[in-house]
Amino acid sequence: MGVTILTQFPVENKTGPQIIELLSKRISALGAVPQGQFLVDCETYSSVPALGHQRTVHVLHNSEQPATVFALLETGTKTIPLATDGLFDLLMMKMSSFYQSKKQTKAESKGPRFEIGDFCVKLGSVTVSSNFKGVLVEVEYKPCVVPAMCWDLIMEFMQGFLGSLGPTTPPSFLQNRMQDIYSPIDTIQQYLEHFTLFRKSPGPALIMRPQ
Amino acid sequence: MAALGTAIDSLTAAMKCNIIPNQEYLLQGSVLDQYVEVLLHRLRGLCDNVDSGPETFNDHELCYSLRANNVNTPMALPLRVRRALDVSDAPFQLRYVGQQELGDKNRPTVVRSCIDMACSSTIIEFLSELGCRLDFEYIARGYMFRKGRMKVTVSKIFKMNGIANKPGEGVEAISQSYLVELSVQAPSGQDAIAEDMRVFAEQLRPLVQLEKIDYKRLGNMM
Amino acid sequence: MERDIEQLNSALNSVKILRSNVRCVFESVSNGLRADHGEESKESKYILELQELLTIVNNNLRDVENSVGNLTPPPGAFSLGNTTYLSQETTQERQQLYGQLVNSYKWTDKIREYSALAGNMLAANSFNKTYKTYSTTKRRKTQTSNHNVPPEIIENLITSIDRLFTDVTITAKRPFVPNPLIQVALGRVLRAVIAFKGLMIEWVVVKALSEDNDLWTESRYKVFRKVTENCHAAMCHFHSPMMPELAVRSFMHWFHSYITLFSAPCKRCSKHLQSNLPPTWRDLRSLEPYHEECK
Repeated sequence: MGVTILTQFPVENKTGPQIIELLSKRISALGAVPQGQFLVDCETYSSVPALGHQRTVHVLHNSEQPATVFALLETGTKTIPLATDGLFDLLMMKMSSFYQSKKQTKAESKGPRFEIGDFCVKLGSVTVSSNFKGVLVEVEYKPCVVPAMCWDLIMEFMQGFLGSLGPTTPPSFLQNRMQDIYSPIDTIQQYLEHFTLFRKSPGPALIMRPQ
Repeated sequence: MAALGTAIDSLTAAMKCNIIPNQEYLLQGSVLDQYVEVLLHRLRGLCDNVDSGPETFNDHELCYSLRANNVNTPMALPLRVRRALDVSDAPFQLRYVGQQELGDKNRPTVVRSCIDMACSSTIIEFLSELGCRLDFEYIARGYMFRKGRMKVTVSKIFKMNGIANKPGEGVEAISQSYLVELSVQAPSGQDAIAEDMRVFAEQLRPLVQLEKIDYKRLGNMM
Repeated sequence: MERDIEQLNSALNSVKILRSNVRCVFESVSNGLRADHGEESKESKYILELQELLTIVNNNLRDVENSVGNLTPPPGAFSLGNTTYLSQETTQERQQLYGQLVNSYKWTDKIREYSALAGNMLAANSFNKTYKTYSTTKRRKTQTSNHNVPPEIIENLITSIDRLFTDVTITAKRPFVPNPLIQVALGRVLRAVIAFKGLMIEWVVVKALSEDNDLWTESRYKVFRKVTENCHAAMCHFHSPMMPELAVRSFMHWFHSYITLFSAPCKRCSKHLQSNLPPTWRDLRSLEPYHEECK
């Protein structure tokens, strides 16, 4: 597991499949080899009024860590990450009288996955309750575990195939964690950040960038 | 290329095939401190891990419950966190234990639904922020044996003397006996295993009596 | 001599064939009548089969006799010197000695052969590309061996390297006392497993911090495989039989420059990436980072 940077690619009057196609062509031209598909999904539960002040639990799955379930608890003041195994979903069902799933908010990012050198690139089209919302590009540099050390390198790589639309500053979530050892849950937190923005946004034609 | 299914899909599939071990068959008993050596000796002979000897453990268990403030319909969801004090890099264990069913006289063991999962150390903060209340906590030290799918633990239970930060220090044994538990986790409907457990418990009979313990009745006695 | 051995080999071979075919006969006899002999005239079929097998054995026996006849008998008893007495040893624990003696004789023989070959090859291709030149007097002065040194000296060397750099952590394991195996973690960038042979660096493998520290498998990541390759080149470059301690020290100095593996751009093209790899080469003198293609 290496440092992963997630960025949004602007849609600008194109459809999701068109953009994925365009980016797939670009990355393949650089020598990337397709390596299957990937899927990150997110389900959000909120506490019932009887439990006191409102809290939200986001449960995420990443096909890259298929045996792990990630849960992020938002209390309003802080976010607590938890990595656990597949049966946590079963526990969430048991908790249905305390935490109820918000329908219409199930978000997922899904698409092709490429490998190029030590990089892994994933092009995901994002849907929120089956409505297309935008495109997320994930780039992982597998050998390195400290974001601060390889940020410039990843930025250069991303600009290589995203052009000027590549990121120029680290994702806001990582900005005060640049010196920490990167772990899979950090990727999940980046996804959640983007999913939250997508849920709020009205349609797919989103130009606003999260940074 | 086959499209990826969601994690929920595969979980539903696993539930349909009934391969998730979500039932625990349990027998409990106790043995006085002075006889525990004899019991351990007997177990060493009966169980599978003969050559490696019993595995020891030193665990801290925190018992939480999630309760809603409705007066009309009181609901509680019990959750337990167990962490190894002797193996620092082991994951924490989160466990949901449901209502136990005693069943009729003919059923040899207690059956209760349970979900076990490994998780990161953030679980303690996660649960308390989730709205869970810490009901009690204790330290269990002892030995674990295996016999096929059966698990036998012989453990001494210690009180926490209010020093939550440094568990392991200043602890006090709760009684002068060891808790003996015989359990199997299996997918639902595998009642044959309960019979195996009865037979095994029979073999320990002179040393320890493993029984179905009815907690509700215990509660009434106190 | 050569011919003798050839004949001995062929004789042994024919003995082997004989034994194998005799086995076939016994097998057939012990199995008796089988289903594949059919129903009709099974007895005669079986006898025929047995006859065939026996003919084969007969032929083999003839071969053995022939090849034995070709052998030249040794000219009298082998002179084993004092080792003959070893075979007459009666005490239990010393009876093994003869076998061990023969084995070690074989080993030394092989070592002599290989070292002669290696010596010839090294004399023909000098691999030492150092800038240093040695005077003949100096060469004569240091005749100490550097692959067979007391463990304390190596220990001192390792601890001194450990002290030299603050961001380098060394953990040492010694499966064989004079030849330690050390793991060098370079900050949070990478980890190298270095095997020593006395005071010489024998082998280096570079891996990610998360990978296992096995000496024999290479890293899963291209960048570390490339760095491993470059470390081997540097190991040969810095190698100096006259000043082994200095060689290790300079290697470690050079190796330490990989602390910027991911963060430093190439000195020539000032880019981070070239064919999807960061600058994996460090100049041997200036320690500046270069891409493989830019050096």
